Amino acid sequence: MKSVPLKVVRNQEIAEETYEMILSGELVQEMNRPGTFLHIKIPSSHHVLRRPISIASVNQELGTCTLVYKCTGEGTRALTNVRPNDCLQVLGPLGGQGFPTEEPSTDQEVTLIGGGVGVPPMYFAARSLSERNIPFRVILGFQTEAAVFYEEAFKQLQAMDVTIMTDDGSYGEKGTVIDALQNLEQPSTYIYTCGPRGMLKAVKAAAQHDTTVYVSLEEHMGCGIGACFACVCKTEDETSYVKICTDGPVFQSNEVLL
Amino acid sequence: MSERLAVNLPGLSMKNPIMPASGCFGFGREFSELYDLSLLGAIAIKGTTGEQRFGNNTPRVAESPSGMLNSIGLQNPGAKSVRDNELPFLEQFDVPILANVSGSSPEEYVKVVNTLNEASNVGAFEVNISCPNVKTGGIQFGTDPEQAAMLTSLIKEATNKPVYVKLSPNVTDIAAIAKAVEHAGANGLSLINTLIGMRFDWRTKKPILANEKGGLSGPAVKPVALRMVYDVRQVTDLPIIGMGGIESAKDVIEFLIAGADAVAVGTANFTNPFACIEIIDELPTWLDQLNVNQVSELQRRGVVL
Repeated sequence: MKSVPLKVVRNQEIAEETYEMILSGELVQEMNRPGTFLHIKIPSSHHVLRRPISIASVNQELGTCTLVYKCTGEGTRALTNVRPNDCLQVLGPLGGQGFPTEEPSTDQEVTLIGGGVGVPPMYFAARSLSERNIPFRVILGFQTEAAVFYEEAFKQLQAMDVTIMTDDGSYGEKGTVIDALQNLEQPSTYIYTCGPRGMLKAVKAAAQHDTTVYVSLEEHMGCGIGACFACVCKTEDETSYVKICTDGPVFQSNEVLL
Repeated sequence: MSERLAVNLPGLSMKNPIMPASGCFGFGREFSELYDLSLLGAIAIKGTTGEQRFGNNTPRVAESPSGMLNSIGLQNPGAKSVRDNELPFLEQFDVPILANVSGSSPEEYVKVVNTLNEASNVGAFEVNISCPNVKTGGIQFGTDPEQAAMLTSLIKEATNKPVYVKLSPNVTDIAAIAKAVEHAGANGLSLINTLIGMRFDWRTKKPILANEKGGLSGPAVKPVALRMVYDVRQVTDLPIIGMGGIESAKDVIEFLIAGADAVAVGTANFTNPFACIEIIDELPTWLDQLNVNQVSELQRRGVVL
Protein backbone atom coordinates (compact mmCIF):
# COMPACT_ATOMS: atom_id res chain seq x y z
CA MET A 1 0.00 0.00 0.00
CA LYS A 2 1.33 3.38 -1.03
CA SER A 3 0.18 6.97 -1.40
CA VAL A 4 1.21 8.16 -4.83
CA PRO A 5 -0.04 10.40 -7.62
CA LEU A 6 -1.87 8.66 -10.46
CA LYS A 7 -2.47 10.36 -13.77
CA VAL A 8 -6.03 10.79 -14.99
CA VAL A 9 -6.50 9.35 -18.48
CA ARG A 10 -10.23 9.76 -18.71
CA ASN A 11 -13.10 11.00 -16.54
CA GLN A 12 -16.47 10.82 -18.26
CA GLU A 13 -20.10 10.49 -17.37
CA ILE A 14 -21.31 7.07 -18.52
CA ALA A 15 -24.76 7.10 -16.93
CA GLU A 16 -26.82 9.54 -14.90
CA GLU A 17 -24.47 11.09 -12.31
CA THR A 18 -22.18 8.07 -12.79
CA TYR A 19 -18.61 8.62 -13.93
CA GLU A 20 -15.93 6.34 -15.28
CA MET A 21 -12.41 7.38 -14.45
CA ILE A 22 -9.28 5.78 -15.85
CA LEU A 23 -6.03 6.30 -13.96
CA SER A 24 -2.53 5.33 -14.92
CA GLY A 25 0.64 4.80 -12.92
CA GLU A 26 2.92 2.23 -11.37
CA LEU A 27 0.58 1.65 -8.46
CA VAL A 28 -1.71 -0.21 -10.88
CA GLN A 29 0.73 -3.15 -10.75
CA GLU A 30 -0.38 -3.77 -7.17
CA MET A 31 -4.08 -3.86 -8.04
CA ASN A 32 -4.97 -7.48 -8.52
CA ARG A 33 -7.82 -8.34 -6.18
CA PRO A 34 -11.48 -7.69 -7.08
CA GLY A 35 -13.32 -5.94 -4.24
CA THR A 36 -10.39 -3.85 -3.08
CA PHE A 37 -10.51 -0.08 -3.32
CA LEU A 38 -8.53 3.12 -3.68
CA HIS A 39 -8.68 5.97 -1.15
CA ILE A 40 -8.64 9.09 -3.27
CA LYS A 41 -7.77 12.57 -2.11
CA ILE A 42 -10.22 15.09 -3.47
CA PRO A 43 -8.14 17.76 -5.21
CA SER A 44 -9.35 20.66 -3.09
CA SER A 45 -8.26 21.84 0.34
CA HIS A 46 -11.89 21.99 1.47
CA HIS A 47 -11.99 18.22 1.63
CA VAL A 48 -10.08 16.59 4.47
CA LEU A 49 -11.46 13.09 3.99
CA ARG A 50 -10.47 10.87 1.11
CA ARG A 51 -13.13 8.97 -0.80
CA PRO A 52 -13.01 5.18 -0.94
CA ILE A 53 -13.78 4.01 -4.50
CA SER A 54 -13.71 0.38 -5.55
CA ILE A 55 -11.68 -0.78 -8.52
CA ALA A 56 -13.85 -1.70 -11.52
CA SER A 57 -11.09 -3.15 -13.68
CA VAL A 58 -7.38 -3.17 -14.30
CA ASN A 59 -5.42 -3.32 -17.53
CA GLN A 60 -1.89 -4.40 -16.62
CA GLU A 61 -0.65 -4.11 -20.22
CA LEU A 62 -1.61 -0.44 -20.38
CA GLY A 63 -0.85 0.17 -16.71
CA THR A 64 -4.31 1.59 -16.09
CA CYS A 65 -7.15 1.01 -13.69
CA THR A 66 -10.78 1.97 -14.09
CA LEU A 67 -13.04 3.33 -11.38
CA VAL A 68 -16.74 4.02 -11.61
CA TYR A 69 -18.19 6.40 -9.04
CA LYS A 70 -21.48 8.11 -8.46
CA CYS A 71 -21.66 11.82 -7.82
CA THR A 72 -23.52 11.87 -4.51
CA GLY A 73 -22.12 14.88 -2.69
CA GLU A 74 -19.63 17.71 -2.69
CA GLY A 75 -16.54 15.49 -2.70
CA THR A 76 -17.53 13.35 -5.65
CA ARG A 77 -18.80 16.49 -7.40
CA ALA A 78 -15.30 17.92 -7.14
CA LEU A 79 -13.96 14.66 -8.55
CA THR A 80 -16.12 15.04 -11.66
CA ASN A 81 -14.20 18.24 -12.48
CA VAL A 82 -10.88 16.41 -12.77
CA ARG A 83 -9.50 16.40 -16.33
CA PRO A 84 -7.17 14.13 -18.30
CA ASN A 85 -3.50 14.67 -17.37
CA ASP A 86 -4.46 15.93 -13.89
CA CYS A 87 -2.98 13.89 -11.07
CA LEU A 88 -4.86 12.46 -8.12
CA GLN A 89 -3.27 11.41 -4.83
CA VAL A 90 -4.21 7.79 -4.39
CA LEU A 91 -3.73 5.58 -1.34
CA GLY A 92 -4.08 1.91 -2.02
CA PRO A 93 -4.98 -0.60 -3.06
CA LEU A 94 -6.81 -0.97 0.25
CA GLY A 95 -8.85 -3.76 1.73
CA GLY A 96 -7.69 -6.91 3.46
CA GLN A 97 -10.23 -9.15 1.80
CA GLY A 98 -11.74 -8.93 -1.67
CA PHE A 99 -13.98 -11.31 -3.59
CA PRO A 100 -12.29 -14.73 -3.42
CA THR A 101 -12.47 -15.45 -7.15
CA GLU A 102 -9.79 -18.14 -6.71
CA GLU A 103 -12.18 -20.18 -4.55
CA PRO A 104 -14.72 -21.57 -7.07
CA SER A 105 -13.79 -24.46 -9.33
CA THR A 106 -14.81 -24.65 -12.99
CA ASP A 107 -17.72 -27.00 -12.22
CA GLN A 108 -19.23 -24.49 -9.82
CA GLU A 109 -21.25 -21.42 -10.62
CA VAL A 110 -21.18 -17.86 -9.28
CA THR A 111 -24.01 -15.34 -9.34
CA LEU A 112 -22.84 -11.73 -9.28
CA ILE A 113 -25.38 -9.24 -7.97
CA GLY A 114 -24.69 -5.52 -8.17
CA GLY A 115 -26.95 -2.66 -7.15
CA GLY A 116 -26.32 0.83 -8.58
CA VAL A 117 -22.88 2.05 -7.68
CA GLY A 118 -22.24 -1.43 -6.24
CA VAL A 119 -21.89 -2.71 -9.81
CA PRO A 120 -18.22 -1.70 -10.46
CA PRO A 121 -16.51 -4.20 -8.11
CA MET A 122 -18.74 -6.93 -9.57
CA TYR A 123 -17.23 -6.18 -12.95
CA PHE A 124 -13.69 -6.68 -11.62
CA ALA A 125 -14.88 -9.96 -10.05
CA ALA A 126 -16.50 -11.01 -13.35
CA ARG A 127 -13.28 -10.41 -15.26
CA SER A 128 -11.35 -12.45 -12.75
CA LEU A 129 -13.86 -15.34 -12.93
CA SER A 130 -13.88 -15.12 -16.70
CA GLU A 131 -10.09 -15.45 -16.84
CA ARG A 132 -10.36 -18.61 -14.77
CA ASN A 133 -13.23 -20.00 -16.86
CA ILE A 134 -15.61 -20.11 -13.92
CA PRO A 135 -19.21 -19.97 -15.10
CA PHE A 136 -21.08 -16.95 -13.77
CA ARG A 137 -24.32 -15.10 -14.26
CA VAL A 138 -24.96 -11.43 -13.56
CA ILE A 139 -27.91 -9.59 -12.03
CA LEU A 140 -27.69 -5.81 -11.99
CA GLY A 141 -30.20 -3.48 -10.38
CA PHE A 142 -30.66 0.21 -11.16
CA GLN A 143 -33.29 2.81 -10.31
CA THR A 144 -34.06 3.68 -13.88
CA GLU A 145 -32.85 3.34 -17.48
CA ALA A 146 -30.67 6.45 -17.34
CA ALA A 147 -28.66 4.94 -14.49
CA VAL A 148 -27.80 1.69 -16.29
CA PHE A 149 -24.15 1.06 -17.17
CA TYR A 150 -21.77 -1.79 -18.03
CA GLU A 151 -24.46 -4.14 -19.38
CA GLU A 152 -22.52 -4.66 -22.62
CA ALA A 153 -19.21 -4.96 -20.77
CA PHE A 154 -20.53 -7.86 -18.69
CA LYS A 155 -21.98 -9.53 -21.79
CA GLN A 156 -18.58 -9.39 -23.49
CA LEU A 157 -17.11 -11.39 -20.62
CA GLN A 158 -19.28 -14.30 -21.69
CA ALA A 159 -21.50 -14.32 -18.67
CA MET A 160 -24.05 -17.14 -18.84
CA ASP A 161 -26.70 -14.51 -18.47
CA VAL A 162 -26.93 -10.77 -17.75
CA THR A 163 -30.21 -9.63 -16.21
CA ILE A 164 -30.94 -5.95 -15.75
CA MET A 165 -33.61 -4.94 -13.26
CA THR A 166 -34.94 -1.41 -12.87
CA ASP A 167 -37.13 -0.13 -10.06
CA ASP A 168 -39.42 1.66 -12.49
CA GLY A 169 -39.30 -0.92 -15.28
CA SER A 170 -37.94 1.62 -17.76
CA TYR A 171 -35.24 -0.84 -18.85
CA GLY A 172 -34.73 -4.59 -18.53
CA GLU A 173 -37.25 -6.09 -16.18
CA LYS A 174 -39.25 -4.21 -13.61
CA GLY A 175 -38.37 -5.20 -10.07
CA THR A 176 -35.41 -5.74 -7.83
CA VAL A 177 -32.35 -7.94 -8.01
CA ILE A 178 -34.06 -10.11 -5.39
CA ASP A 179 -36.90 -10.85 -7.83
CA ALA A 180 -34.33 -11.96 -10.38
CA LEU A 181 -32.44 -14.02 -7.82
CA GLN A 182 -35.62 -15.83 -6.83
CA ASN A 183 -36.39 -16.55 -10.48
CA LEU A 184 -33.18 -18.47 -10.98
CA GLU A 185 -33.96 -22.09 -11.80
CA GLN A 186 -30.96 -23.44 -10.01
CA PRO A 187 -29.15 -21.80 -7.10
CA SER A 188 -25.45 -21.16 -7.66
CA THR A 189 -22.65 -22.31 -5.37
CA TYR A 190 -21.58 -18.74 -4.68
CA ILE A 191 -23.13 -15.29 -4.67
CA TYR A 192 -20.92 -12.22 -4.77
CA THR A 193 -22.78 -8.98 -4.15
CA CYS A 194 -22.27 -5.27 -3.64
CA GLY A 195 -24.87 -2.54 -3.24
CA PRO A 196 -26.97 -0.73 -0.65
CA ARG A 197 -27.04 -2.39 2.79
CA GLY A 198 -30.76 -3.19 2.47
CA MET A 199 -30.12 -5.01 -0.79
CA LEU A 200 -27.28 -7.05 0.73
CA LYS A 201 -29.53 -8.02 3.61
CA ALA A 202 -32.25 -9.12 1.20
CA VAL A 203 -29.77 -11.11 -0.91
CA LYS A 204 -28.53 -12.88 2.21
CA ALA A 205 -32.10 -13.70 3.23
CA ALA A 206 -33.09 -14.89 -0.25
CA ALA A 207 -30.02 -17.05 -0.85
CA GLN A 208 -30.32 -20.83 -0.53
CA HIS A 209 -28.71 -22.37 2.52
CA ASP A 210 -26.06 -24.17 0.54
CA THR A 211 -25.04 -21.01 -1.32
CA THR A 212 -22.01 -19.18 0.05
CA VAL A 213 -22.64 -15.43 -0.06
CA TYR A 214 -19.90 -12.80 -0.09
CA VAL A 215 -20.96 -9.20 0.47
CA SER A 216 -18.95 -6.05 -0.10
CA LEU A 217 -19.77 -3.37 2.47
CA GLU A 218 -19.68 0.38 2.06
CA GLU A 219 -19.39 2.92 4.86
CA HIS A 220 -18.23 6.48 5.51
CA MET A 221 -14.48 6.10 6.02
CA GLY A 222 -11.81 8.06 7.81
CA CYS A 223 -8.26 6.81 7.41
CA GLY A 224 -9.00 3.77 5.24
CA ILE A 225 -6.15 1.82 6.88
CA GLY A 226 -7.79 0.57 10.07
CA ALA A 227 -6.62 3.18 12.55
CA CYS A 228 -9.64 5.41 13.11
CA PHE A 229 -12.51 2.98 13.79
CA ALA A 230 -14.95 4.98 11.64
CA CYS A 231 -16.06 2.21 9.27
CA VAL A 232 -16.86 -0.66 11.58
CA CYS A 233 -19.59 -3.26 11.33
CA LYS A 234 -20.89 -5.54 14.07
CA THR A 235 -20.25 -9.25 13.73
CA GLU A 236 -23.37 -11.35 13.28
CA ASP A 237 -23.29 -12.58 16.89
CA GLU A 238 -22.94 -8.93 18.01
CA THR A 239 -20.06 -9.78 20.35
CA SER A 240 -17.43 -8.01 18.30
CA TYR A 241 -16.87 -5.83 15.27
CA VAL A 242 -14.93 -5.82 12.03
CA LYS A 243 -13.23 -2.93 10.31
CA ILE A 244 -14.64 -2.63 6.80
CA CYS A 245 -11.50 -0.99 5.40
CA THR A 246 -8.96 -3.57 6.55
CA ASP A 247 -10.91 -6.71 7.52
CA GLY A 248 -13.08 -6.30 4.40
CA PRO A 249 -14.59 -4.69 2.49
CA VAL A 250 -15.75 -8.16 1.41
CA PHE A 251 -17.09 -10.51 4.06
CA GLN A 252 -18.85 -13.83 4.03
CA SER A 253 -22.46 -12.90 4.80
CA ASN A 254 -22.56 -14.86 8.05
CA GLU A 255 -19.59 -12.92 9.44
CA VAL A 256 -21.34 -9.56 9.71
CA LEU A 257 -24.60 -8.11 10.97
CA LEU A 258 -26.17 -6.54 7.91
CA MET B 1 17.54 13.87 13.10
CA SER B 2 18.98 17.11 14.31
CA GLU B 3 18.96 18.38 17.85
CA ARG B 4 17.33 21.51 16.50
CA LEU B 5 13.90 19.98 16.77
CA ALA B 6 14.22 18.34 20.19
CA VAL B 7 11.65 19.25 22.81
CA ASN B 8 11.58 18.12 26.42
CA LEU B 9 8.26 17.93 28.15
CA PRO B 10 7.45 16.24 31.46
CA GLY B 11 7.66 12.49 30.79
CA LEU B 12 8.13 13.03 27.07
CA SER B 13 11.62 13.40 25.76
CA MET B 14 10.79 14.22 22.16
CA LYS B 15 13.09 14.25 19.12
CA ASN B 16 10.79 16.82 17.60
CA PRO B 17 7.60 18.62 18.69
CA ILE B 18 5.28 16.46 16.56
CA MET B 19 3.00 13.68 17.79
CA PRO B 20 -0.08 12.16 16.21
CA ALA B 21 -3.19 13.14 18.19
CA SER B 22 -5.13 10.59 20.19
CA GLY B 23 -7.86 8.90 18.20
CA CYS B 24 -6.33 9.64 14.81
CA PHE B 25 -3.58 7.05 14.94
CA GLY B 26 -5.07 4.02 16.67
CA PHE B 27 -2.27 2.32 18.58
CA GLY B 28 0.23 2.91 15.79
CA ARG B 29 0.15 -0.54 14.17
CA GLU B 30 -1.35 0.60 10.87
CA PHE B 31 0.93 3.61 10.49
CA SER B 32 3.97 1.50 11.40
CA GLU B 33 3.50 -0.20 8.04
CA LEU B 34 3.86 3.19 6.34
CA TYR B 35 6.86 4.63 8.17
CA ASP B 36 9.20 4.19 11.12
CA LEU B 37 7.31 5.37 14.21
CA SER B 38 10.66 6.19 15.88
CA LEU B 39 10.73 9.29 13.68
CA LEU B 40 7.88 10.79 15.70
CA GLY B 41 8.33 13.04 18.72
CA ALA B 42 5.78 11.03 20.68
CA ILE B 43 2.59 9.07 20.09
CA ALA B 44 -0.72 9.86 21.75
CA ILE B 45 -2.52 6.51 21.65
CA LYS B 46 -6.24 6.05 21.26
CA GLY B 47 -8.42 6.88 24.25
CA THR B 48 -8.48 3.84 26.53
CA THR B 49 -11.28 2.89 28.91
CA GLY B 50 -11.52 0.39 31.76
CA GLU B 51 -13.26 -2.27 29.69
CA GLN B 52 -13.46 -2.70 25.93
CA ARG B 53 -15.99 -0.51 24.15
CA PHE B 54 -17.62 -1.04 20.78
CA GLY B 55 -18.45 2.62 20.25
CA ASN B 56 -21.34 4.25 18.44
CA ASN B 57 -23.37 3.20 15.43
CA THR B 58 -22.27 4.18 11.93
CA PRO B 59 -21.96 6.58 10.11
CA ARG B 60 -19.32 7.79 12.53
CA VAL B 61 -17.70 10.43 10.34
CA ALA B 62 -19.06 13.22 8.16
CA GLU B 63 -17.10 15.77 6.22
CA SER B 64 -17.63 19.51 6.51
CA PRO B 65 -15.83 22.38 4.79
CA SER B 66 -12.12 22.04 5.68
CA GLY B 67 -13.02 19.72 8.50
CA MET B 68 -14.83 16.65 9.63
CA LEU B 69 -17.19 15.51 12.35
CA ASN B 70 -16.53 12.27 14.15
CA SER B 71 -18.49 10.30 16.64
CA ILE B 72 -16.56 7.09 17.14
CA GLY B 73 -17.61 6.72 20.76
CA LEU B 74 -14.27 5.69 22.26
CA GLN B 75 -14.13 2.28 20.62
CA ASN B 76 -11.10 0.57 22.13
CA PRO B 77 -10.09 -2.87 23.40
CA GLY B 78 -9.92 -1.84 27.07
CA ALA B 79 -6.98 -1.07 29.37
CA LYS B 80 -5.80 -4.65 29.93
CA SER B 81 -5.63 -5.40 26.22
CA VAL B 82 -3.85 -2.10 25.56
CA ARG B 83 -1.32 -2.97 28.27
CA ASP B 84 -0.82 -6.56 27.10
CA ASN B 85 -1.06 -6.19 23.32
CA GLU B 86 -0.71 -2.62 22.12
CA LEU B 87 1.96 -1.10 24.36
CA PRO B 88 4.33 -4.09 23.99
CA PHE B 89 4.03 -3.74 20.20
CA LEU B 90 5.06 -0.08 20.47
CA GLU B 91 8.12 -0.96 22.56
CA GLN B 92 10.09 -1.77 19.40
CA PHE B 93 10.05 1.93 18.54
CA ASP B 94 12.19 4.58 20.18
CA VAL B 95 9.31 6.92 20.95
CA PRO B 96 7.59 7.94 24.18
CA ILE B 97 3.87 7.18 24.54
CA LEU B 98 1.28 9.60 25.84
CA ALA B 99 -1.50 7.29 27.05
CA ASN B 100 -4.93 8.84 26.62
CA VAL B 101 -7.20 7.89 29.50
CA SER B 102 -10.99 7.97 29.25
CA GLY B 103 -13.89 6.79 31.34
CA SER B 104 -17.45 7.21 32.54
CA SER B 105 -16.62 7.62 36.21
CA PRO B 106 -13.63 8.81 38.24
CA GLU B 107 -13.11 5.17 39.30
CA GLU B 108 -12.82 4.09 35.67
CA TYR B 109 -10.18 6.73 34.91
CA VAL B 110 -8.17 5.59 37.93
CA LYS B 111 -8.54 1.97 36.89
CA VAL B 112 -7.10 2.73 33.44
CA VAL B 113 -4.18 4.64 34.95
CA ASN B 114 -3.49 1.80 37.39
CA THR B 115 -3.53 -0.73 34.56
CA LEU B 116 -1.23 1.21 32.23
CA ASN B 117 1.02 2.66 34.90
CA GLU B 118 3.65 -0.09 34.82
CA ALA B 119 4.17 0.03 31.04
CA SER B 120 7.71 1.35 30.65
CA ASN B 121 7.06 3.14 27.36
CA VAL B 122 4.18 5.19 28.76
CA GLY B 123 5.93 8.47 29.46
CA ALA B 124 2.87 10.34 30.61
CA PHE B 125 -0.91 10.21 30.76
CA GLU B 126 -3.32 12.43 28.87
CA VAL B 127 -6.62 12.63 30.70
CA ASN B 128 -9.48 12.96 28.27
CA ILE B 129 -12.02 15.11 30.04
CA SER B 130 -13.38 16.37 26.78
CA CYS B 131 -14.73 13.53 24.63
CA PRO B 132 -17.98 14.85 23.20
CA ASN B 133 -19.12 11.46 21.92
CA VAL B 134 -19.99 9.36 24.92
CA LYS B 135 -23.14 9.64 26.98
CA THR B 136 -21.64 9.76 30.42
CA GLY B 137 -18.28 10.95 31.63
CA GLY B 138 -15.84 12.52 29.25
CA ILE B 139 -16.95 16.01 28.59
CA GLN B 140 -18.89 16.45 31.83
CA PHE B 141 -15.55 16.43 33.63
CA GLY B 142 -14.19 18.95 31.18
CA THR B 143 -16.79 21.68 31.36
CA ASP B 144 -16.91 22.16 35.13
CA PRO B 145 -13.68 23.46 36.73
CA GLU B 146 -14.42 21.73 40.05
CA GLN B 147 -15.05 18.34 38.49
CA ALA B 148 -11.99 18.73 36.25
CA ALA B 149 -9.85 19.50 39.30
CA MET B 150 -11.32 16.63 41.31
CA LEU B 151 -10.56 14.14 38.55
CA THR B 152 -7.05 15.53 38.06
CA SER B 153 -6.16 15.14 41.75
CA LEU B 154 -7.52 11.59 41.83
CA ILE B 155 -5.36 10.63 38.86
CA LYS B 156 -2.32 12.41 40.26
CA GLU B 157 -2.68 10.30 43.41
CA ALA B 158 -2.77 7.13 41.29
CA THR B 159 0.47 7.67 39.37
CA ASN B 160 3.92 9.14 39.60
CA LYS B 161 3.98 9.74 35.87
CA PRO B 162 3.27 13.23 34.56
CA VAL B 163 -0.39 13.95 33.87
CA TYR B 164 -1.59 16.10 30.99
CA VAL B 165 -5.23 17.12 30.94
CA LYS B 166 -6.90 17.37 27.54
CA LEU B 167 -9.23 20.34 27.57
CA SER B 168 -12.54 20.80 25.84
CA PRO B 169 -13.15 23.85 23.67
CA ASN B 170 -16.88 23.54 24.39
CA VAL B 171 -16.69 25.97 27.32
CA THR B 172 -17.01 29.71 27.77
CA ASP B 173 -13.73 30.09 29.66
CA ILE B 174 -11.08 27.50 28.85
CA ALA B 175 -8.49 29.41 30.88
CA ALA B 176 -10.55 28.83 34.04
CA ILE B 177 -10.52 25.07 33.48
CA ALA B 178 -6.78 25.23 32.78
CA LYS B 179 -6.15 27.05 36.07
CA ALA B 180 -8.34 24.60 37.97
CA VAL B 181 -6.47 21.51 36.74
CA GLU B 182 -3.13 23.24 37.27
CA HIS B 183 -4.03 23.84 40.92
CA ALA B 184 -5.06 20.20 41.16
CA GLY B 185 -1.56 19.14 40.13
CA ALA B 186 -1.66 18.69 36.35
CA ASN B 187 1.82 18.62 34.79
CA GLY B 188 0.69 19.77 31.38
CA LEU B 189 -2.27 20.56 29.14
CA SER B 190 -3.45 19.33 25.75
CA LEU B 191 -5.77 21.50 23.76
CA ILE B 192 -8.09 21.49 22.01
CA ASN B 193 -10.36 18.48 21.73
CA THR B 194 -13.07 18.68 19.07
CA LEU B 195 -15.89 21.23 18.89
CA ILE B 196 -19.38 19.75 19.06
CA GLY B 197 -21.19 20.05 15.75
CA MET B 198 -23.85 18.57 13.51
CA ARG B 199 -24.56 18.02 9.85
CA PHE B 200 -27.80 17.00 8.16
CA ASP B 201 -28.50 15.04 5.02
CA TRP B 202 -30.76 17.33 3.00
CA ARG B 203 -32.37 14.34 1.27
CA THR B 204 -33.35 12.35 4.34
CA LYS B 205 -33.64 15.41 6.61
CA LYS B 206 -31.76 13.46 9.27
CA PRO B 207 -28.39 14.02 10.94
CA ILE B 208 -25.59 12.39 8.94
CA LEU B 209 -23.94 10.91 12.03
CA ALA B 210 -25.77 8.00 13.65
CA ASN B 211 -25.00 9.60 17.00
CA GLU B 212 -26.47 12.86 15.62
CA LYS B 213 -23.76 15.12 17.06
CA GLY B 214 -20.02 14.75 16.73
CA GLY B 215 -16.72 16.49 17.22
CA LEU B 216 -15.48 18.92 14.58
CA SER B 217 -11.78 18.78 13.74
CA GLY B 218 -9.49 19.76 10.90
CA PRO B 219 -8.32 23.11 9.52
CA ALA B 220 -11.79 24.57 10.15
CA VAL B 221 -11.07 24.66 13.90
CA LYS B 222 -7.49 25.94 13.71
CA PRO B 223 -8.19 29.61 14.54
CA VAL B 224 -10.29 28.54 17.54
CA ALA B 225 -7.51 26.25 18.73
CA LEU B 226 -4.87 28.95 18.31
CA ARG B 227 -6.97 31.43 20.24
CA MET B 228 -7.47 28.95 23.07
CA VAL B 229 -3.77 28.02 23.25
CA TYR B 230 -3.05 31.73 23.37
CA ASP B 231 -5.64 32.37 26.11
CA VAL B 232 -4.43 29.47 28.23
CA ARG B 233 -0.79 30.51 27.79
CA GLN B 234 -1.65 33.86 29.37
CA VAL B 235 -2.67 32.21 32.64
CA THR B 236 -0.27 29.30 33.06
CA ASP B 237 3.34 28.23 32.63
CA LEU B 238 2.38 24.57 32.27
CA PRO B 239 3.60 22.83 29.12
CA ILE B 240 0.94 22.95 26.39
CA ILE B 241 0.48 20.40 23.63
CA GLY B 242 -1.40 22.39 21.01
CA MET B 243 -3.66 20.84 18.42
CA GLY B 244 -6.49 21.65 16.07
CA GLY B 245 -6.25 21.52 12.30
CA ILE B 246 -2.47 21.28 11.97
CA GLU B 247 -1.48 20.05 8.53
CA SER B 248 1.84 21.73 7.78
CA ALA B 249 5.09 22.84 9.39
CA LYS B 250 3.84 26.41 9.09
CA ASP B 251 0.83 25.47 11.22
CA VAL B 252 3.20 24.02 13.82
CA ILE B 253 5.13 27.30 13.96
CA GLU B 254 1.85 29.14 14.41
CA PHE B 255 0.92 26.99 17.41
CA LEU B 256 4.37 27.46 18.95
CA ILE B 257 4.01 31.21 18.53
CA ALA B 258 0.57 31.09 20.17
CA GLY B 259 2.11 29.43 23.22
CA ALA B 260 2.33 25.69 22.62
CA ASP B 261 5.44 23.69 23.56
CA ALA B 262 4.68 20.79 21.26
CA VAL B 263 1.83 19.91 18.93
CA ALA B 264 -0.40 17.02 17.96
CA VAL B 265 -1.52 16.29 14.41
CA GLY B 266 -4.97 14.75 14.09
CA THR B 267 -7.25 14.90 11.09
CA ALA B 268 -4.33 15.49 8.71
CA ASN B 269 -3.34 11.84 9.22
CA PHE B 270 -6.53 10.90 7.36
CA THR B 271 -6.01 13.36 4.51
CA ASN B 272 -2.41 12.27 4.16
CA PRO B 273 -1.19 9.29 6.20
CA PHE B 274 2.37 10.60 5.90
CA ALA B 275 1.43 14.03 7.31
CA CYS B 276 3.39 13.73 10.58
CA ILE B 277 6.72 12.77 9.05
CA GLU B 278 6.35 15.24 6.18
CA ILE B 279 5.80 18.02 8.72
CA ILE B 280 8.87 16.88 10.69
CA ASP B 281 10.92 16.96 7.46
CA GLU B 282 9.74 20.46 6.59
CA LEU B 283 10.26 21.97 10.02
CA PRO B 284 14.00 22.84 9.76
CA THR B 285 13.39 24.90 6.62
CA TRP B 286 10.80 26.94 8.49
CA LEU B 287 13.19 27.47 11.41
CA ASP B 288 15.76 28.73 8.89
CA GLN B 289 13.28 31.21 7.51
CA LEU B 290 12.65 32.53 11.01
CA ASN B 291 16.40 32.63 11.77
CA VAL B 292 15.73 30.33 14.66
CA ASN B 293 18.22 27.62 15.51
CA GLN B 294 16.17 25.51 17.91
CA VAL B 295 12.47 24.84 18.23
CA SER B 296 12.84 25.59 21.93
CA GLU B 297 13.68 29.19 21.06
CA LEU B 298 10.17 29.61 19.75
CA GLN B 299 8.50 28.24 22.84
CA ARG B 300 6.82 30.96 24.85
CA ARG B 301 8.69 33.69 23.04
CA GLY B 302 6.61 34.12 19.95
CA VAL B 303 4.00 36.34 21.42
CA VAL B 304 4.91 39.75 22.74
CA LEU B 305 2.25 40.75 25.22
